[in-house]
Amino acid sequence: MSGIEIFQMWLVAFLTLALFSFLYKDNPIYKLAEHIFAGLTTGYQVGLIWDTVVLQKLWDPMIYDDKWWLLIPGLLGILMFSRFTSRYSWLSRIPLAFVMGTTGGVFLTTQLHGLVLPAMKSTMIPLGGGGGFAEAILAVIVVVGVISTLIYFYFSKEHSGALGVTAKVGIWFIMVSFGAHFGYTVMGRVSLLIGRVQFLIEDWIGSFL
Amino acid sequence: MTIWEKLEQLDRRWIYLAVAIAVIIPFLVPAKFPISVSPEAQSFYDNVEALPDSSVVMLVFDYYPSTMAETEPMAIAGARHFFSKDCRIITLSNIPLGGPSMAEEVTRRIAAEYGKEYGIDYVNLGYKYGYVSVLKGMGLSIESIFPTDNSGTPLSELPMMDSVTNYEDVKFIFEVADNATADYWISIVNAGYGVPMGVGMTAVMAPKFYSFFGSNQIVGLLGGMKGAAEYEILINHEGSATRGMGAQSLVHLLIIALVLLGNIGFFASGKHRRRIGK
Repeated sequence: MSGIEIFQMWLVAFLTLALFSFLYKDNPIYKLAEHIFAGLTTGYQVGLIWDTVVLQKLWDPMIYDDKWWLLIPGLLGILMFSRFTSRYSWLSRIPLAFVMGTTGGVFLTTQLHGLVLPAMKSTMIPLGGGGGFAEAILAVIVVVGVISTLIYFYFSKEHSGALGVTAKVGIWFIMVSFGAHFGYTVMGRVSLLIGRVQFLIEDWIGSFL
Repeated sequence: MTIWEKLEQLDRRWIYLAVAIAVIIPFLVPAKFPISVSPEAQSFYDNVEALPDSSVVMLVFDYYPSTMAETEPMAIAGARHFFSKDCRIITLSNIPLGGPSMAEEVTRRIAAEYGKEYGIDYVNLGYKYGYVSVLKGMGLSIESIFPTDNSGTPLSELPMMDSVTNYEDVKFIFEVADNATADYWISIVNAGYGVPMGVGMTAVMAPKFYSFFGSNQIVGLLGGMKGAAEYEILINHEGSATRGMGAQSLVHLLIIALVLLGNIGFFASGKHRRRIGK
């Protein structure tokens, strides 16, 4: 292992332990590590966007490929900065209108064809689809779950009578869903801890044993 | 003061310490817990296995370094699986922080294991801002979105890319993600161009993606460290995820014990009666 690699490993180990030190109590070492992460992230991101967007997609094509029409989107981008002045902030609405329009246009079809319709199709499973009794029961549970959950989120009418009963069934489905999310979230957070401990034990401590 | 009241006032740092011990012990005293393979992971593996040899595949590094413990073992296992089938891999990233360099590091390391050569067997396209336009644009021409690879070499100078124009030439996409870009790969690329897709994601995101598996929009799903460990077992190459599952299981047992203890204490101390007003 080269000198720079050893230095990197000790630096990473120090920053990891500095962040964990917050679990004991808030302290200057933790704050130092936190500020280093925030600063590095911002600096790296600004540099990357400058390189991949401003230079690669705007400046270089204009200068080297004579794509001067790119001045128009470039100018629209600059107009976004007009929000920093109260007098000219209205100019930022022009590029924002383009962003809203293109986003709406793209998402209308992708959300409908990519998410809504396939989800509806997979909800409406034929009971006699060849999957047997268990599959049929599952299909019924899915339909009941979807409808009752949707009814729970229907607030235009008071949740009383049949509507209230169905909404209560919906709550149970929502709770089961929250339980699954919570279980997975716990697993995810523990995994991140395991990853750091793996580094500390196997890589850092392992390097000088 | 009863024992339950004492436990209620326990400093939370003792729990942190217990969790830390539960994580550390399995690394010092290795213990194997059984890892069952889920149908979602099995389907993922089967679909990759069914790919014709030398297929062009995409391995997408849409995760930040902060979630590497969960996501990177999936990317490594995916690269191993693809290279073992002589697939040609295109890597790219739609997130700015870390993705391109992690793609570079992982593919170069695994490619060296399998004797694969850059430009012939794999290409790293790097990062490009604006994932929606990037995903849609590659449907027309990958080169129009990524004129060069991650290190600035024009794609026209990379032999592997001679036979690749757009998604029509890509047989499978493995999206490893810790953020919403996975939704867009499914809703834009899979729905719009019909490329078969498997996803590997953090455990926090996994429950949502079961619906995509149910609707056959994705052919496989790896959820969190457990999903990564399942995939490592399937490709017969145990890695950091499998090693981490011992600690994962022990911490889960600890959490279950603490939840039970908390509930027993709640009922034993009579708080539930006071809460319901009896």
